[in-house]
Amino acid sequence: MNVIDSFVENWGNLRGGAAAIAIIAIAAFIASLGLLVHWTGGTAFAWLHLMYLPIVLSAALFRIPGGIAAALAAGLVIGPFMPLYVLEEIPQQTSNWMIRTGLFLLIGTFTGIIFTWLTAQFDSLKKAHEELSQSHIELRSAQMELIQAAKLESIGRLAAGVAHEVKNPLAIIQLGVNFLDTTLSCDQDLKEVLDEMDRAVKRADYIVKGLVDFSRSDELELKTQNLNPIIENALNLVGHELRKGQVTLETRLDTFISPVAADRNKIQQVFINLFMNAVQAMEGGGKLTVTTAQKELSRNDIALFSAMKQPFSVGSSAVMVEITDTGHGIPENKLDKLFDPFFTTKPVGKGTGLGLSISRKIIELHDAMIDIRNREEGGVVVKLLFKTNQGSAS
Amino acid sequence: MKKKILVVDDEVSLTHMIRRGLEAKGNYLVMEENSGRRAITAARSFRPDIVLLDVMMPDLDGGSVAAIFAEDDDLKHIPIVFLTAIVTKEETQPTGSVIGRHTFMAKPVNLDDLLTCIEDHLGAGR
Ligand SMILES: Nc1ncnc2c1ncn2[C@@H]1O[C@H](COP(=O)(O)OP(=O)(O)OP(=O)(O)O)[C@@H](O)[C@H]1O
Ligand SMILES: [Mg+2]
Repeated sequence: MNVIDSFVENWGNLRGGAAAIAIIAIAAFIASLGLLVHWTGGTAFAWLHLMYLPIVLSAALFRIPGGIAAALAAGLVIGPFMPLYVLEEIPQQTSNWMIRTGLFLLIGTFTGIIFTWLTAQFDSLKKAHEELSQSHIELRSAQMELIQAAKLESIGRLAAGVAHEVKNPLAIIQLGVNFLDTTLSCDQDLKEVLDEMDRAVKRADYIVKGLVDFSRSDELELKTQNLNPIIENALNLVGHELRKGQVTLETRLDTFISPVAADRNKIQQVFINLFMNAVQAMEGGGKLTVTTAQKELSRNDIALFSAMKQPFSVGSSAVMVEITDTGHGIPENKLDKLFDPFFTTKPVGKGTGLGLSISRKIIELHDAMIDIRNREEGGVVVKLLFKTNQGSAS
Repeated sequence: MKKKILVVDDEVSLTHMIRRGLEAKGNYLVMEENSGRRAITAARSFRPDIVLLDVMMPDLDGGSVAAIFAEDDDLKHIPIVFLTAIVTKEETQPTGSVIGRHTFMAKPVNLDDLLTCIEDHLGAGR
């Protein structure tokens, strides 16, 4: 099976076992044609025309050397090794065998040349095709990144405007509700309606806050610091949610990680978003694992992250943060939408769908990278990669 | 005597709503003004004890209004509370935070928080 596969795959480029088998087959073909003529006492001499078949085949497989070798072998079979009585019975062949061998050589060489040329053509076509499909993939992902960037930018601008415009009407409703609450406080039904309205205003305000965060996420206050305390602080802030969701927590924070340049509040916001996503994905409980580690980046580490601009190079050192949950995971067809602003699978009022788009924007402003994927064991793993400050500055 | 409050915001409904709320809840005399420029003349004649001021207004923004107040001997003692959408609730206390020389409250404000803030200033001024 393997031999056949590699034969088909590398028909012009046989090696090892496949080459040996081909050579033996061709030699056997040539020899058996000779034997055929031999045994039939020369009456099957016309069959010698079949000799062109192994020559062409050999030239196809092994190019010019193959063609020449097969032609010479064929020449030997019909020449010196052909029993004399055969040659005597068909005298005109005797004088012609040199011409025949010459023809064999001509055909072998010529076919070899043609196949050399063909395979070269084929190889360059194949290579061009590979390059094309590779650049097609790259183009597509670049295009996606561009669309994403443009989307984020225009949404950022839009968000600031919308947020501002929405706050005034919200203020009017809020104050109106408060006013009615003061004057109509005797009626229980009305009070309930007003409470409902009050909560609705708060919800709208929360969404607007998300928009403001989003539009502001491009101003960073960078300070060189250790990520561990930021992570611990973020974990403290979501501690209540963890307990409420019956999520057990495992942290393995490497105390020896190098400091990174980070905006404490923004990075904390990213971690809170990621932790909340994990908790919300683990309905009925689960386990959240957070680890940090110092890394010497290998090619594989970097390949994990699909970003248009790759701020990392092989061998450079980085801090890797991994956030693992045991939740319901992400449907494959949703994976490329995760970072879209307003993409959410959560019920109205539960999620704005801005969490990850804000987080990614913040991460990219830090020249860091983020990757989110499903785990084979179930749940999701989020990986973050931060440049350490070594080499730069101080 | 009733304490006087000048409410300045280009959004007419908002100043209405603030006036209604404040007058219903407390013993205040509230004046509404819907332009930054007119707020200055209004303040000169009305002589408020406190000003609630929007920041983004088309003719003259709240910051400039406050600056003009600060240079006017008759007006500079009047406390100003900015009611604004440019800060978020996370950056300010619900009842307002002092940033620089002024107090900021994030829109949408809650009536009770607004009252607490006003009382804080008026109490201090007495
Ligand atoms: N750890 C996770 N496990 C499963 N699904 C996830 C996880 N993290 C994100 N998702 C999916 O990605 C979607 C988008 O996440 P994102 O944080 O951007 O918005 P959200 O959580 O829905 O809303 P918000 O963060 O504004 O409250 C989620 O609705 C969810 O479907
Ligand atoms: Mg989220």
